[in-house]
Amino acid sequence: MKYEDRIVTAFTGCSVLWAVLGMLAGVYVAAELVWPTIDFGLPGLSFGRLRTLHTTLVLFGFGVSGLIATAFYSVQRTSHVRLFAPGLAWFVFYAWQLTIVLGGVSVMAGWNAGKEYAELEWPFDLAIAVAWVSFGVVFFGTIARRRMEAIYISNWFYGALIIVVAMLHIVNSLAVPATIGKSYSLFAGSQDAIVQWWYGHNAVGFLLTGGFLGMLYYFLPKQAEQPIWSYRLSIVAFWAFVYTYIWAGPHHLHYHSIPEWVQSLGMVMSLILLAPSWATMVNGIMTVSAAAKKLRSDPALKFIVLSLAFYGLATFEGPMLAIKSVNVFSHFTEWTIGHVHSGALGWNALITFGTFYFLVPRLAGTQLYSARMANIHFWLALAGVLLYVLAMWGAGVSQGVLWLSLDELGEVRFSFNDVMAAMKPYYLLRFIGGLLFLAGAVLMAFNLMRTFAGRRTVEIAPPAVPAARGLK
Amino acid sequence: MPVKFSIFSLATVLFRPKAVFDALAVNEPSAAKVFFGFALWIGVLPPLFAYIGTMNFGWRLGVEPVFLPQHMVLAISAAYFAALLLGFLSSAVIARWMAITYDASQSLGRCFALMAIVGAPLAVGSVIHLYPHAFINVLVLVPTLIWSMYLLYRGLPVVLQTGPNRGMLMASALIAYLLVAAVSLLGVTVALWGSGLGPLIGY
Repeated sequence: MKYEDRIVTAFTGCSVLWAVLGMLAGVYVAAELVWPTIDFGLPGLSFGRLRTLHTTLVLFGFGVSGLIATAFYSVQRTSHVRLFAPGLAWFVFYAWQLTIVLGGVSVMAGWNAGKEYAELEWPFDLAIAVAWVSFGVVFFGTIARRRMEAIYISNWFYGALIIVVAMLHIVNSLAVPATIGKSYSLFAGSQDAIVQWWYGHNAVGFLLTGGFLGMLYYFLPKQAEQPIWSYRLSIVAFWAFVYTYIWAGPHHLHYHSIPEWVQSLGMVMSLILLAPSWATMVNGIMTVSAAAKKLRSDPALKFIVLSLAFYGLATFEGPMLAIKSVNVFSHFTEWTIGHVHSGALGWNALITFGTFYFLVPRLAGTQLYSARMANIHFWLALAGVLLYVLAMWGAGVSQGVLWLSLDELGEVRFSFNDVMAAMKPYYLLRFIGGLLFLAGAVLMAFNLMRTFAGRRTVEIAPPAVPAARGLK
Repeated sequence: MPVKFSIFSLATVLFRPKAVFDALAVNEPSAAKVFFGFALWIGVLPPLFAYIGTMNFGWRLGVEPVFLPQHMVLAISAAYFAALLLGFLSSAVIARWMAITYDASQSLGRCFALMAIVGAPLAVGSVIHLYPHAFINVLVLVPTLIWSMYLLYRGLPVVLQTGPNRGMLMASALIAYLLVAAVSLLGVTVALWGSGLGPLIGY
């Protein structure tokens, strides 16, 4: 019985495709902020719809497809068994990709549930729930049939991703359908806001952080050919992370009409969160520090090293922005957008790129088509993300101080329009940063396609080890 | 050639960094000399430029300039200087702490010298603070920052006597710290504005 790797290839291919299309949509909306008329008066190209398309494609197309690919790849190898219910796994693949395609079209057509990062309307919410639970059945079914006693740490993170995202998605999407393309949330007013950000921030927590930590914990030791620096620390950090993250959502609602104590609780839990986040960063950096020799020959490792630096930045900046006296300046400004992208581009995208540069040659049974191209991609990505983040820091801090500035009479000093117009040069810089990042992703797509075109796939069987004690 | 690490060698540090790296690889400088002879002086430049620029032109954030009273600008410049010194000292100490992991030289003098070289282009680039237009400052300081990072990656393996691969890893780990230090500076700044040290704001 061989490992089921064709499904991994399929998810990886789609993830790369969605990365390019999703980032293209992002660059286009960035350009719209500089040249507002390039929507040509078409509703489908308007900022509101394209921005939703961008987040949907990069989060659920690129991010989740990459997570499912790597979860399916690693769970088989850490359990020493073939994937449970491969037929169901293929159902997950088709259901997920179809949801992204049709969901993307629906967003451009103007369907929108009005919840950030959960904009898809109720028919898609149902499809996502079914596909996601099926993903869980395949994953946990494989774990249940494992032939080694310990459940490796990456599987704990992937497992938490599956369970918590199912819970968040189902609760936050509860709604009363009115027509096929319109529904009304079951929650109202402040409750709706609290549920939305309980969902929103834990999607960041368990998907963009937890899920990708699963990826890190499997692929980093593999690439570095080193065991995790401290396995014990990874377990402690896991439980601290799971316990703490779930409370942090209300920091998105500072100074809003929710109870003061809920805001303060969200802030305190966000600050505590720094400890498990950095424990993981230290664990990663120390693991890779023992693998210096490989750095020259392996472009993939560079991406992972850099992704850890941005992970450190994003997980420090997040708690800092959650402090109310900082948040009063940063809320609603471009600083928040910069923060999200230092995490999404610097951490999520870079670690996924690094993982794909490792994974695709193995799936194809051949060498990477061009290590030089991967190196160029590395510098394009670094320059892109730095330009993006620095532009948004400049824009955000300027916006914060301008919005709050008073004149001698105690009136607001600058009009919203004036402040908006002052942001234009930063938006141009951000557009250039995004374009560089997109160019890198296109280069990667080409490199991986050429790698796969020269494939000499060898199917691999799980090692013939006796089942561990207590396991069938 | 032994390096005379003083403010008078600023031009050598800026234009012939490789020669300085090579010299540092064989000669261990004293931390006190690097700090009092060089770092302290280049550290004065950004707050000084910022003070002169703000008093003359006000903060230009894309709309009409925001002028601040002199005592406020003085206090902000002093806080800026303190933050830069703290940033410099903590980066050098952290580099020394990381050196254990990356099998690099744990000489405090070398770590001080490395951080001073990395900071030098930024300190000189801060001449743009003389005209405190936020976007123009971003535009000038971004390439300067890239040059500084290049110096860090290039100089670290030589000055701290570790291999190029370990040097690359250690430089990346240091970048993580420097990014965090940069964003902390932003956070502390806006928190200080909120507590009254800064422009007239209300919330």
